Amino acid sequence: MNVGDTIPEWSVAITPTLIVSTAIATRDFQDVHHDRDLAQGHGSKDIFMNILTSTGLVERFVTDWAGGDTDVRGIAIRLGAPAYPSDTLTFSGTVSAIEDGVAVIEVKGAVSLGDHVVGTVRVSA
Amino acid sequence: MAEAERIKAFGEAAEREARDPVNQPTINNWVEAMGNTNPRWQGGEAPPSMAQVWTMYGLGGRPPADDPLHAMMKVLTDAGYTAVLGTNCEQTYERTLKVGEQVRVTTALDSVVGPKTTGMGVGYFVTSRNTWYVDAPDGQREVVARMLFRVLKFVPRVSTDGDSA
Repeated sequence: MNVGDTIPEWSVAITPTLIVSTAIATRDFQDVHHDRDLAQGHGSKDIFMNILTSTGLVERFVTDWAGGDTDVRGIAIRLGAPAYPSDTLTFSGTVSAIEDGVAVIEVKGAVSLGDHVVGTVRVSA
Repeated sequence: MAEAERIKAFGEAAEREARDPVNQPTINNWVEAMGNTNPRWQGGEAPPSMAQVWTMYGLGGRPPADDPLHAMMKVLTDAGYTAVLGTNCEQTYERTLKVGEQVRVTTALDSVVGPKTTGMGVGYFVTSRNTWYVDAPDGQREVVARMLFRVLKFVPRVSTDGDSA
């Protein structure tokens, strides 16, 4: 791993199944992540991906590239556009720094409405 | 906001146990849903970002009365800031959790900033800190993960039936 390395883009089809199965697997039972009627009642267009899943997919994006033995030290994300069903979530990333055995990877996950998630992942280098 | 100072003074509060110890079936559900095929998560370790999963309330759980984030959210809800949106989540991991470990979490209110005019409406940014612990064999508690979590608690610009109900 070197500073400037770019992680190949990875696109995930956002299906209701992905949103619901990951919400339940992260033990997040908020209705906006599994019940469209209630989500719309709260003013949302549809159900949407929960934050624990955004974090988990960022983790997967980086470790699928860096290798399964990579130790993840931290994931810091800022949330933007919601990830709704029928959209696509496309991740991109670049290694921005390596210091004291820790690499900092800048990551972005974009949907059609804009950036769903922007942040950094720190991993053992 | 005076209420924020009062609740910040709770410090690191509302310590509670995960419902279950770190376990393989819950890890399996998570890796299947995420499509994470790393063999490491079949060998006795849990994925780092699952740290928060173990202490989620689940369907039946409710925050304890002394939970600082819950208390602050209630103050703002009662003041008319009814809507909530997660804006930042910063997790750090000291190590991976191991199958069989029992995790505990504490919550502290870090800051309340506002009122601010945002694209979503007028609201307060509420930042909390969680710390996850495991009891070490020597009886000391070991920090295994930390999280800074920020939400915008706001007055929706356009009220909907669901929000006003």
